Amino acid sequence: MTAVLRWYMALQYMASPVPDRELKKGSAELMILSLLENRPRHGYEIAQLIELRSRGAIRFNVASLYPLLYRLEKRNWIRGRWVEKAGQRRRRYYRLTASGKNVLSKQRAGWREFVEAINLITGIQRA
Amino acid sequence: MPDFKVEIRARLAEVGLSPVREAEIVEELSQHLEDEYERALSCGASEDEARQQVLEQLNTPDLLRRELKHVEPRGSEDPIALGTERKTNIFADLQQDLRYGLRTLAKNPAFTSIAIIALALAIGANSAIFSVVDAVLLRPLPFKNPNQLVMLWENAAHLGFPRDTPSPANFLDWQKQVTSFTGMAAMSERSFNLTGLGEPERLEGRRVSANLFELLGVTARLGRTFVPEDDKPGTHVVLLSHSLWQRRFGSDPGIIGRALTLNGESYTVIGVMPPFVQLPGFDNRNDQLWVPIAFPAEEAAEHGNHFLEVIARLKPGVTLKQARAEMDTIAARLEQEYPTYNTRRGAVVVPLHEQLVGEIRPALLILLGAVGFVLLIACANVANLLLARAAVRQKEIALRLALGASRSRLTRQFLTESVLLALFGAGLGLLLALAGIRVLRTFIPVTIAQVETITIDGTVLVFTLFVALVTGIAFGLVPAIQGSHFNLNNTLKGGGRDSGGGSKGNRIRSLLVIGEVAVSFVLLIGAGLLIKSFLHLRNLDPGFRSDHLLTMKVNLSEVKYPDRERRAAFFDEVMRHVHELPGVQSAAVAGNLPLTYNGDSMSISVEGVPDPPPGQQPDVVYRATGPGYFATMGIPIVRGRDFTDQDNGDSKDVVIISEKTARQFWPGQDPIGKRLKPGSSTSNSPWREVIGIVKDVRQNDFIASPKRQMYFTYRQLKNIAANALVVRTSIEPVSLAVPVRNAIWSVDKDQTVADIDTMDHIVAQAVARQRFSMLLLGLFAALALLLASIGIYGVMSYSVAQRTREIGIRIALGARRADVLQMTLKQALKLVGVGMILGLAAAFLLTRVLQTLLFGISATDPITFLGISLVLLAVAILASYIPALRATKVDPLVALRGQ
Repeated sequence: MTAVLRWYMALQYMASPVPDRELKKGSAELMILSLLENRPRHGYEIAQLIELRSRGAIRFNVASLYPLLYRLEKRNWIRGRWVEKAGQRRRRYYRLTASGKNVLSKQRAGWREFVEAINLITGIQRA
Repeated sequence: MPDFKVEIRARLAEVGLSPVREAEIVEELSQHLEDEYERALSCGASEDEARQQVLEQLNTPDLLRRELKHVEPRGSEDPIALGTERKTNIFADLQQDLRYGLRTLAKNPAFTSIAIIALALAIGANSAIFSVVDAVLLRPLPFKNPNQLVMLWENAAHLGFPRDTPSPANFLDWQKQVTSFTGMAAMSERSFNLTGLGEPERLEGRRVSANLFELLGVTARLGRTFVPEDDKPGTHVVLLSHSLWQRRFGSDPGIIGRALTLNGESYTVIGVMPPFVQLPGFDNRNDQLWVPIAFPAEEAAEHGNHFLEVIARLKPGVTLKQARAEMDTIAARLEQEYPTYNTRRGAVVVPLHEQLVGEIRPALLILLGAVGFVLLIACANVANLLLARAAVRQKEIALRLALGASRSRLTRQFLTESVLLALFGAGLGLLLALAGIRVLRTFIPVTIAQVETITIDGTVLVFTLFVALVTGIAFGLVPAIQGSHFNLNNTLKGGGRDSGGGSKGNRIRSLLVIGEVAVSFVLLIGAGLLIKSFLHLRNLDPGFRSDHLLTMKVNLSEVKYPDRERRAAFFDEVMRHVHELPGVQSAAVAGNLPLTYNGDSMSISVEGVPDPPPGQQPDVVYRATGPGYFATMGIPIVRGRDFTDQDNGDSKDVVIISEKTARQFWPGQDPIGKRLKPGSSTSNSPWREVIGIVKDVRQNDFIASPKRQMYFTYRQLKNIAANALVVRTSIEPVSLAVPVRNAIWSVDKDQTVADIDTMDHIVAQAVARQRFSMLLLGLFAALALLLASIGIYGVMSYSVAQRTREIGIRIALGARRADVLQMTLKQALKLVGVGMILGLAAAFLLTRVLQTLLFGISATDPITFLGISLVLLAVAILASYIPALRATKVDPLVALRGQ
């Protein structure tokens, strides 16, 4: 991911004044949707994966992750379900819905185009 | 682990979430923070440090609140508070109860299925019977202001006819003199031979007064009904029924004005009636057409011939009592004017609805009561199941109580589950009722009015819904109260075995089973009485042999066969052909077969006996027959001989009488050679010599004892026509139907042949009502017994499971398996015994209502009571045997270890 975008994301999720709300929201949604593409996960697992795969660049605050999950659920892009596994307390797992898959593929395409456009304008090479 | 929930809750306070949603979010977020806390600890932070790190995520002012406000809807003003005393929203509560109830039922498929099936059978049976009651008893008749319509009869109770068909002269006198009615109309049954349109067909119809349809408030669908100008002799107009118009004329809209040949005469079609229009009357005839009654002068003056059916409409404001009083006055006046004919003849006014349904009402109401009993038993069964389940759900109930749920809230929750069960049962029950009605229709007697309109309509649906709601509350209330009221401490401590109602729950279960046994006992007794009564009926000797007897109606046209010579010639030729058919043992001409027609009667005088005073002449039922009739019908000739071909218009007039007639008119004498004549001794009718005495035959009615009877030979009758054939066959009678019909058509191709039937079937139809009641009550009693057996089995199984430890101890201390079996069976028999005693007492009281349906036995027949008691006892022992056997197989070690 480009340095510019990394900077944007870090700003958003380190709770500093936000430069572009839509851009941040859009990328966060894309991340969550793509993490749920292969299997259902609970909130903490999603947060951990994002931090791990972004090598700590992006960290989700509980106060912003869960409202985001609830927003996606309200749009019927993901669906949450309480699951009780043997020997564990119950957890709320989220999975991608059919319309969520649809949105994910569109957002991926849109994001790819956006990144290429920025690269062309700024002359930044792909990371 | 720090309690992060408090922190989260504090930040959510102003979001205004519903309590349930708030609880969910708190739980989810606190889990996340707990995971973060543990990760921080695992990374080496101290507890305080870890806690600080975690809480930093919540420290951004208002972030959580702001983000959630965008997403989450605000909770309701009066939030739902499951398990708290906070103000509740009834609709939200109901919604939650419904969701929870559905989930609970889905989680226990075995219990739910059994309960729903039991309820479906019971509620379905109730809906099916109610649909019959609705169509036959409750639905208003399809006439204008039907409660104003009455039927008028002559009261000749002294002759055995308390509701006698009026004579034309009496009807016309009533019509002239009465003021209580806006109008009065007469009807007379008539058959018509439709010819000239392909296959000749005999059609049932009626002659009716011109004002009849106007009186009933029924208008023609096509064309018009009769007007006063039509009601004159010689006016040949006809109204068709809707079904005839469809079937025979292809619903041709151009039918009006068309000419039809009926009984050899031309009639003009003036109208077609709407569907399902049937005129009320003595029986539920399916009229195909109507013509004006148009009394010829001599018929209008006829006092002695009683054959009409009369309908009238009460004037507004006139009561039935007033109308009856006026008719009594008029009858008394006519008695003075015409003492010969009207002595002791009163008038009877019967509301039309009563006329149509009076006879069937007791049977239908009894069936409705019976099916209600079945529902009670099903309720008791499901209540028992719920009680047992409540015991299993103790921990769940205890936790909810501990978390603050009120007992009333829990009771409401359980009741919701019960009502849901009842609604599902009702849904399935309606499907069963639909199928049941289709079957019911095939053996509901056709003589019951409105039978073709029996269906599941709005009224039946409302009834079913009402029954479902009441049932759900009825069987759910006790388990709901029981389930939500028990010792909380004991349950939470795991005191287990004895809670969930404990001895109180057991008492309730036992009482329910006792109730089931009592109710099913009453039903079984009722069914047993009806079965025994029906068997008595079927074993009655009808006076003839009904097997291998083919019958058919052959109504000769008065135009084509105006005199007895032509009629005799026709029948002789037909008999010749029929006797040549293979498989025919004998055949004869008959007039109105037994059990198909009420029978005309006439007063007679006996030679040498002075005429009794007017109005006291003895009345005798008569029939026209031909030679060989008695042999063909299997009616024994007790003395004398049968008619022969030599008994004709040129020989002396003869008559054959029944044993009862012989006993009453010539007691202690030999009637052979004696003479009688129709009317008084001074009438113009010829004296007829008695040539034979035959056994009494159940002519009119299978149940009533035979009336006085006499037979004429059709060859000697000018005015009374024979109208049927009977054929005794050596093979299956139905197989000769077509050959016999063809034999008739070989003599006259335009002759109608109708009502081809076997005598066996006619006899069966004669007891159709009794069979209907017996079969249905028997079915309900069997269902009740099945449900009660399941109830006994269930309670005993539960009791054995509860007493496992006790049984284990007994066996360990030396009790034999046989002792355990005996102990368990004794417990079951105690319940059944108490139930049977209560049932016996109830049966003595209730079976009296069956008396009107019984024949040949009393409502407290001891043999039936004893027999049913033994059956119930045997079934109860069987139902409790398996649990008892299970009890003997208890392993003491396992039972004791289970503590």
